Amino acid sequence: MRVALSLLLLAAAPQLAAQALTSAELMRELAKVEASHATFVETKRSALLKEPLVTRGTLAYRRPASIEKHVLQPYNERFAIEGDVLTLENRRGRKLKTSVSGAPGLAALIEGIRATRAGDLAALERHYEVRVEGRRERWTLLLRPTADEVARHVASITVSGTGSRIVRVEIEEASGDRAVMEIQEELK
Amino acid sequence: MRLPRFALLGLWLLALAAGAAWLHGHLRVQTEMTVFLPPSATPAQRLLVGQLREGVVSRLMLIEMAGATAPELARASRALAQRLRESGLFSSVANGDLAAMAAERDLILAHRYLLSPAVQAERFSAAGLAAALQESLELLASPAGALLRPSIPLDPTGELRELSRLMLPSDGPQLRHGVWFGRDGSSALLVAETRAPGFDVEAQARAAAAVREAFAASGVACCGAIALAGPGVFAVQMRDAIEAESWRLSLAAAVLVLLILAAAYRSAAAVGVCALPVATGLLVGVAAVALGFGSVHGITLAFGATLIGEAVDYPSYLLTSAAPGEPLERTLERMGGTLRLAVLTTIFGAAAMAFSSFAGLAQLGVLTIAGVAAAGLATAWLLPALLPASAIRLKTRGLPPLLTPLLARIPGPARWVAAAVLLAAAAGFIASRQDRLWDDDLANLSPLPEAAKALDRRLRGELGAPDVRYLLVARAADREAALQASEAAARWLQDRVQAGTLAGFDVPSSYLPSQRTQAARRAALPDAATLERNLAAALKGSPFRAGTFAPFLRDVARARGGVLLEAEALAGTALGLKLSGLLVREGEGWAALAPLRGVADGAGLSREARAAGFELLDLKEESNRLVSGYRDQSLWLFALGFACIAALLALSLRSATRTARVLLPVAGAALLDVALLLLMGRALTLFNLVALLLVIGVGLNYALFFERPQAEGDERARTRLAVAVCAASTLAVFGCLMLSQTPVLRAIGETVFFGCLLAAALSAAFAGGYTRKSQ
Repeated sequence: MRVALSLLLLAAAPQLAAQALTSAELMRELAKVEASHATFVETKRSALLKEPLVTRGTLAYRRPASIEKHVLQPYNERFAIEGDVLTLENRRGRKLKTSVSGAPGLAALIEGIRATRAGDLAALERHYEVRVEGRRERWTLLLRPTADEVARHVASITVSGTGSRIVRVEIEEASGDRAVMEIQEELK
Repeated sequence: MRLPRFALLGLWLLALAAGAAWLHGHLRVQTEMTVFLPPSATPAQRLLVGQLREGVVSRLMLIEMAGATAPELARASRALAQRLRESGLFSSVANGDLAAMAAERDLILAHRYLLSPAVQAERFSAAGLAAALQESLELLASPAGALLRPSIPLDPTGELRELSRLMLPSDGPQLRHGVWFGRDGSSALLVAETRAPGFDVEAQARAAAAVREAFAASGVACCGAIALAGPGVFAVQMRDAIEAESWRLSLAAAVLVLLILAAAYRSAAAVGVCALPVATGLLVGVAAVALGFGSVHGITLAFGATLIGEAVDYPSYLLTSAAPGEPLERTLERMGGTLRLAVLTTIFGAAAMAFSSFAGLAQLGVLTIAGVAAAGLATAWLLPALLPASAIRLKTRGLPPLLTPLLARIPGPARWVAAAVLLAAAAGFIASRQDRLWDDDLANLSPLPEAAKALDRRLRGELGAPDVRYLLVARAADREAALQASEAAARWLQDRVQAGTLAGFDVPSSYLPSQRTQAARRAALPDAATLERNLAAALKGSPFRAGTFAPFLRDVARARGGVLLEAEALAGTALGLKLSGLLVREGEGWAALAPLRGVADGAGLSREARAAGFELLDLKEESNRLVSGYRDQSLWLFALGFACIAALLALSLRSATRTARVLLPVAGAALLDVALLLLMGRALTLFNLVALLLVIGVGLNYALFFERPQAEGDERARTRLAVAVCAASTLAVFGCLMLSQTPVLRAIGETVFFGCLLAAALSAAFAGGYTRKSQ
C-alpha cells in the first residue's frame, strides 16, 4: 500500500513540477501585454480609521512605463506616471509633478505595481525579494521590500492573477494597515 | 676705502639672503581677488564685492561624481557626504538625501506652526480641520499612503508637506535614488559649504583634498571620476597651475636668458652678476609693499615681477656699453645719465599708480618704484665695483646690423610718412573696434582656464546654486526689519509670479520668518479646549478614529506656549546656510536678498521694484560696471604716468625733437601692439594694460639708448648690441609666457612679446639714424 502510494507520488511529481510557475515564466506571461484598462475597488483598513475606506476607479497601463490610477469615487484624484514623472491631479486643482526616483520609498511602491504589470523582473528585484507561487492559471507574486526605508513602512505586497491578468493587489503595511485592490482587467 | 670684490659680493649676497629670510617670515600674501578691486562706490557694488569676498557664495564647493551606475553613484554620494560631514572642514554638505537631513527635519517639525505661511486661524476652525481631515484621508488611501501614514496623526493640516520645499526646493536638481543627480542622470551632485572663506587658499586646499580622499574611499573611485568647482577650489587650482607653470616657464626663460647673456658677454662672472640687481629690486620692492600695506597681493607679486623685469636690462646696458678694457666706472660716466633716465621714466610712470586709492594699483606702483630704484642703484653702485674691466670681452666687430630693419634704409621723410600712415591705420582700426575693445566680464579677470569656468557654470546651473543674475534687495536697519522687508518683498514678488513676469524667487523669510510674523502665526493657534472642540466637530463626518490626532493636539499646544524661532537655532543646518546667504550684513544695516528666476524684462522689473521701494540688482551689469570703472581709472592713471614721463624727458633732454624721438617709437609700439592683439581676436583686460606698462618701460629704454649722443662705429654697434641683448632676453622670457595654458600669463606674454619687438624695431628706425656724433 505504502509502496503504491509512493509510486503514485513519483508518477505525479513531474506533472506537478511542470505546472509550478517560475518567476521568469510569470514575467514572460505578464510581458505579453501591450496595454490594459481596468476597473478597481480598493479597500483600505487602517488603525487610524473607524471603518474601512472603499475607493473605486480605473487603472490604465501602456508598455513600457506608463501607468495611471484614477480614483472616481468617493472623490476624484488621478495619479499618472510616465517614465520617471509622476503627475498628481485632484479636485483641489493641485497639479503636482515630481520625479519618481526622487523618492525611493514611492519609487519602490510604484515599481511594485508597474514592473509587475510590465513583467520586468530586474526592476522588481531592485526593490524586492521576489517569490512566485502557484500555477499559470492561478499564481501569486510575493514582494518583500529589501531597502530599510521601504521595509519600515511596507511589510509586503502580494499580487495575484491568472495568466497574464492581474486580479488582486494586497499591500500589508508595517503598521498593520492593509489595502486590498480587486481588479477587473481588460487586456490589449 | 675699497672692499675687495669677493667681500663685497659676499656682503651683497648675505644682505639678499637676510632680506629673503625676513620676507619669508613676515610676508603675508593675499590671493583674494576682491582686494585687488577698487573700493566700490555704490551700495550695490559694495554688496557685490562683499558677497565675493566673504559671502556664502565664496565658500561653496560644487561636487560632481560620474562614471558609474546610478545606484552606485547614489551610494557613493551618501558615503561621501557622510565622510565630509565628519571631517569638520565643512559647515554643511547637501546631496538631496532627506535621510541625512534629520537636523533640518527635526527643526521644521518642531517649528512648523511658526514657519508655515499657511498657519491662519481659519485653518484650525471646525471647517478648516474638516477639510484637512479629508485631505489626510485621501493621502492615506493614495499610492504613497504607507509612507505618509506616520505624519498624519502629527500633522493633519499638512504643514510639513508645505515646508518640505525648504529642504528640497522644487527647482533644485532632480533626485534619483534619493540623492541629487545631473539633468541627464549620469552624475551625482553635491554642494558643500567650507568653514573657511573662499580666499583662504590653504584651508580650501585642505577641504578639496578631503573631498578627493573621501571620493577615493567611496567605492566608485575605480571607474568613476570626480569634478570640483567653486571659488575656493578654483583659487587652489589657480595657485597650483600658475605656480607650476611659472616655475616651468621661468626655468625655460632663465635658461634662454642665460644663453643669450653668455653668448654676449662670454664671461660667467658677468652673467652671474647680471642677476643681482633684479633680485635686489624684487626683494626691496616686495619688502616696501609688505611694510607699507601689511600684506602683498598675489597679483601684485605676479605683475610686479613683470614690471621689474625691466631691471634685468640695466646691467646689460652698462656691460655692453663698456669699451674693450674700459673700467665700468668710466663707462658709467658716459652713459650713466641715460641709465638714470631709463630708471626714472619707469619710476615716474609708476608714481601715478602709487598714489591711486585702489589698494591693488597702489601696491603695484610702490613695488615698481622701490624695485626699479633699487635695481638701478645696485647696477650703478655695485656692479662697477664687482666686475673688473677684464671681465667683459664683448665682440662687437662684425656684428650683423641688428635691429636696423628695412624701415631704417628708407630715407628720412618717407620713413616718417610710412610710420604716420601705419600708426594712423592702427589708431583707426582701434577706434573702429571701440565698442569691442574691452572685456569687462569680471569672470574673465580671473585667470581661470575656460574649461574650469564652463564646469562651474554647468554645475551651478544643475544645482541651482546661488549664481543668479538678478537679486531683489530689501534693506533695513536691523535683522528683524530686514526679515519684515523680505516678507513684503515676497508678497510683491508673488504678484509678479502670478502676472507672469517672473518664474520664481527665494527669500530669507521663508527660512526664518520675522518675529512679528511668527508671533502672528503663534497667536492664530487656538487654545487647547477650542482646538479639541473644533477637532471633535470635524471628526463627526470623517472615518478617522477619535484618538488618532492626540499628537497634533499636543504639538499645537506646545507651539502656542513655545518661544519664537531665532537665527541661532538654524546654525549648522542647510536652512542656516540658505539664510546666511540671503540675509546679509551691509554696513550698519542688513539686506535681504531675493534671487530671482526667469526674469522676462530686467529693466522693466527694475523700474517696478524701485517704485515699490526695493532695488533690483543686476549682478552681471554691476560687476561689468565695476570692472570698467576700474579700467577707466587705471587708464587715466596710466595716461597721467605717461604725461609725467614726457615731462621728465623734456626736462632732461631739453629738446622737443629729442623727446619726440624717444616717446614716439614707444607710443607707436604700444598702439601697434594693441591693434595687433585686436587683430588676433583678443579683447583687452587689465592684464594687457599692465603688460603695456612694461612695454612702455622697456621700450623707453631702447629709445633712450638709441637716441643717446654717441660716436658712430664701435659705440653705435655696442648700443645695437645692448638693445639686441635686452630685447632678446625680454622676448625669450615673454615668448615662454605665450606658451602658457593660463589665460592671464598668455595675455601678458603676447602683449609684451609683440610690444617689445615693435618698440625695438621702431626705436632703431627712428631714434638711431639721426644722432650725429657728439664726442
